[in-house]
Amino acid sequence: MASEEDGPLVGRTGTLTQIQSDLRNAGPGGTSAVFLTGESGVGKSRLLRETAAAMRDADFAVLSGTCLDIGDASPLHPVLQALRQFDHNVQPADAGDLLDRVSQALREVAGGRRLLLVLDDLQWADRSTRQLLLYLLAGLGDVPLAVLAAVRAEALHGAHPLRKVLAELRRLRSVRVIDLAPLDREQTVELVAAIAGGTVDPEDAERVYKRSGGNPFVAEELARDLRDGRVELSDTLREIFLSRVDELPTAAYAVVRAIAAGVEPVGHEVLARIVPLPEDQLIEAVRAAVAHRFVISQQDGYRLRHRLVSEILADEVLPAEATALHRRYAEALESGDTEPDHARLAHHWQRAGEPARALPSVVAAARDAEALYGFTEAHRYWSTALDLTTGDAPERTELLAHAAESAHRCGEHQRALARLDDLASRSDAPSACDLHLRRARYLTAAGRTALAEAEYVHALDAPDCSPAQRASAAAQLAELLVHLGRYADANERAREALEMTGATSADLVRASAALGYSAAFREDPAAGLDVLRQAVEIAERSGHPDEIGVAYLHLAELLAGPLNSIEEGVLVARRGAEKASRTYASRLLAIAANGLFRVGQWAEADAVLDTAMRHRPSGAEAVELLLSRCRLWVGFGDAEQAHRDLDAVATLLAGGGARHVLPMLTLRAGNAMWLARWPEARAAVQRGLLETRSDDLVLIGILAWHGLRAEAEAHAAGDQVDPLALRRLKASVDRMAAGAHNAAVQVRAVVDAYIDLCNAEISRVEGRPDPTPWARAAGAWDKRQQPYPAAYARLRQAEAILQRKVKRATAVTPLREAYATAIAMGARPFAAEIVSVAQRYRVALADDLDTVPMPPPEPDPGDELGALTQREREVLAALAEGLTNREIGERLFISERTVGVHVGHIFDKLQVRTRVQASRVYLTAA
Amino acid sequence: MTQSVWGPVQREMTDLLQGYPDDVPAVVDQLTKLQDILTRVPPLLLENPLCDFNKLYLTITEGVLEKLYDGEFKDPAFLSRLDVEFAARYFDALRAWAGTDMSPRCPQVWSSLFARIPGPDCRPLPSACAGVNAHINYDLPFALVTTFDHLGTEPVDDSDQHHDYLVINEIFADSIPGLRRGYLEKWQLLIDMMNGCLDDWWQGEAVEYTRNVAWRNAQKLWCLRNDMGALDKERAGLDRVATDLNRLLLSPLGAFLQ
Repeated sequence: MASEEDGPLVGRTGTLTQIQSDLRNAGPGGTSAVFLTGESGVGKSRLLRETAAAMRDADFAVLSGTCLDIGDASPLHPVLQALRQFDHNVQPADAGDLLDRVSQALREVAGGRRLLLVLDDLQWADRSTRQLLLYLLAGLGDVPLAVLAAVRAEALHGAHPLRKVLAELRRLRSVRVIDLAPLDREQTVELVAAIAGGTVDPEDAERVYKRSGGNPFVAEELARDLRDGRVELSDTLREIFLSRVDELPTAAYAVVRAIAAGVEPVGHEVLARIVPLPEDQLIEAVRAAVAHRFVISQQDGYRLRHRLVSEILADEVLPAEATALHRRYAEALESGDTEPDHARLAHHWQRAGEPARALPSVVAAARDAEALYGFTEAHRYWSTALDLTTGDAPERTELLAHAAESAHRCGEHQRALARLDDLASRSDAPSACDLHLRRARYLTAAGRTALAEAEYVHALDAPDCSPAQRASAAAQLAELLVHLGRYADANERAREALEMTGATSADLVRASAALGYSAAFREDPAAGLDVLRQAVEIAERSGHPDEIGVAYLHLAELLAGPLNSIEEGVLVARRGAEKASRTYASRLLAIAANGLFRVGQWAEADAVLDTAMRHRPSGAEAVELLLSRCRLWVGFGDAEQAHRDLDAVATLLAGGGARHVLPMLTLRAGNAMWLARWPEARAAVQRGLLETRSDDLVLIGILAWHGLRAEAEAHAAGDQVDPLALRRLKASVDRMAAGAHNAAVQVRAVVDAYIDLCNAEISRVEGRPDPTPWARAAGAWDKRQQPYPAAYARLRQAEAILQRKVKRATAVTPLREAYATAIAMGARPFAAEIVSVAQRYRVALADDLDTVPMPPPEPDPGDELGALTQREREVLAALAEGLTNREIGERLFISERTVGVHVGHIFDKLQVRTRVQASRVYLTAA
Repeated sequence: MTQSVWGPVQREMTDLLQGYPDDVPAVVDQLTKLQDILTRVPPLLLENPLCDFNKLYLTITEGVLEKLYDGEFKDPAFLSRLDVEFAARYFDALRAWAGTDMSPRCPQVWSSLFARIPGPDCRPLPSACAGVNAHINYDLPFALVTTFDHLGTEPVDDSDQHHDYLVINEIFADSIPGLRRGYLEKWQLLIDMMNGCLDDWWQGEAVEYTRNVAWRNAQKLWCLRNDMGALDKERAGLDRVATDLNRLLLSPLGAFLQ
């Protein structure tokens, strides 16, 4: 049916094939996406339709939605609209639940097939839709999904939120951004010929190309003019359509204007109320509008044929007429049998110039948006409601409070504070104490902690402060002070809060947690733990899943973190996860998984993460769990799965969330290192160092260690060490060492352990095998009860002993210990590394080593060549054949200079001075 | 297909712009390669006005990178994002450039500079300034908004981010030879010769160079960022004002600055 309506498709065959193959080609997460960008009229929607039809034939379930440009669309509009076509209505229980419910509905529609979600005009997508899209593309919804979306390129100017999203997504393997260019001269001529039929005067075709600039929509309309014998070609699209308007029957013109004022699609019954014509005349008029190529008729209603057409017509409708049309739309929507779409109703009443009648629907739309956790959209509605009322309207007080709260909920801190100021100036404003508390809460969320602290103090001092409010202020202030590391002050405020009468259980939990944490940090861990255990009891008595979650979270964090009682922390976290609300359960399981990873129980950590992912986390919780899981994959040596989770994290971060970038980069480096991709590891670490604040000591520690290790491994493999990168890494280690003095005791212990690892790696990079720093690092990590880094340090300790060729026997124990740990954890690449060292130096890892399956041993280098790296041995072998440095370089694909460096090292290690001597050692050993 | 505006280096240009740098070292790398390509655009070769700007911008970005490595910024994550976002807009403009009246998606202010690549020749200082004007007065506010949006923070005066932003401004001011007192007086004279909108927009902030103009504009845009219609109107307005200034800089009057 599309063909007659659409005209021929010219010059897009290749693109069409490419889109389909990209969509079919799902990434590791089971999802794929193609974003089509291009100017209006370049044929994006057309390609969407063609692809949808082809994919439907290829047994994809296809779901289509269009984003609206009415400015205030309801949250998730295009997706919910698409789902409604399949009779799915989504009613969430909480914010995370919403995404889960939508995914479930999508899975049902798919019914086991792959699902293609087609979204047109994505530039108008609301924030909730963008976030849903990222959630689904990250594979979190467990929907085998392909997304095909069209974006108007003109809209991507400036600070459009999609710009950033597309820039991040285009790096992923399963996402393509295709920029649709206009047709070239030949293609335009082909299109003109196809429409005008027969032969076209080359001069005419050339004119069409020039005037359309290769825009197929415009070219097509110009070609029709040519075919219909309009001698003088119109210069602009505007003229084309305006001249067609003149040919329209009056009734058809009325239909066209009515649709232009509506929100598409306009259903027939609605249109019948807008255009007061008898049924048969109306149908006749619609038919004429379709014939003149203004309107298309589809199952769900009427639309104008193209956005460009509606833009032209918008100028043709008189303001008074538009007002009347909007009023009729509003009345038509209100008189319907079903609950009206409040967003739409609000749109029409506002444009009908009826603020008083618009207000109830705007408020209803705001509440609808809040029910779907679309606080950005809700905030816009509350703001609109404020615009619709004047200063002395009594409802303004309530509206201001809602506007402030929704702004706070969607992260518009400045706005929230400004609204609160407006609220404070009203005669019927809430109490001063109440206002201080709200302001403090908003300021805390905005990270302006000094001001927030002052507000809490004001609240406590306010004469109208009730006992409950006072307890709440003190408890929240204590929580803030813990966050700022001011444990003595926090301790005092928390005690105050606990002594006050009338505190709610939520505030009691909060205050106890702050008290416990601050006590533990002030070197009275036993007392701190007691208080936190009490907090858990209080929360369990209240039975509120959020409070239970908070209490368990603090207790688990304290145990697994500063107190380093990891195993107990894991137990507490897992117990809490069974009782806490959804969000807290995810966070508790993340703590448990991280703890299990650290103590080396990787299989158990894997199981916990499995459970956690079944809770269908979203947002920051999902990112944290994905990062934890990815760390396991890196440890297990499953590079493919690690890539999948890193891609998923990158997808989610495309919507924002900078604080997770560093852990992501660390894991990228770790994964690259096992794959021997040093430059990739180096780049990730360097970027991380560049973007870290100097007070993130632990983060710098992990990063710097990864970076130094990458340089050391590169060096050992005979690859280039980057001297600049090395210098910066050493500077970071110095900075860490300087900063560690001022850190809390618990932090210092971890930082020191990383510094030990870093210093040991430096000795390795510099080619001075020294077991001492490695032994120290192993000891430090033993004390932290973290077997993985401890075992790693033992491997290097053994390696250094073996390289020195002194007291070889002392290497056996650490090497075997490291191997046992690696095997127990399932750390495959690490175990393989140990085996290769053992083989190189002929150390038996176990008494029955022969029964352990191992890769075929490398050519036996003999003891004398044991000090050489793999690369150096290759160079030596070539040298012994009598090749020159240049010839060796050509054979090994390295530069002549690098060969020279290797030869120098070989001479040093073998203690020879000539090539002949070196060759002799090699031939003897072989 | 689009016409080849870059002449013999068209292919290299297209290939280079396939890249979307995502950290500061990658931005420096892309600018370095771009510099090499730009020096080969006929007929002016290394004398073309974009070359003058790119060279300056490369120097500045290298300065930023150095300060980042030296840990001289309060919020390096913010600054790195900002630098990447900022550069992305310049590369976007280059991508969209297909010749005068053929580049609907290229901001006017950049078009006005790109259009002068084939000549007539103008002095290096006003050329570089025209690029700086496009980049700071048009691109920077949007880059700031996107960066804040990405990081989940807001443009608040006297914040760490504001501090870092001002450091960048200093690097810009330091890197333009003679862009201090003497230069500014002439600059002020030029502005005085203009009337109307440019004067309003400038609001007497010339003494601080364009320092806070972009920051203020970013704060204004921040409030509008979810309102696509209003945002686009504001964008077009900024583009217009900055374009007017560029016309002036690239006119024979601009030579007066050097």
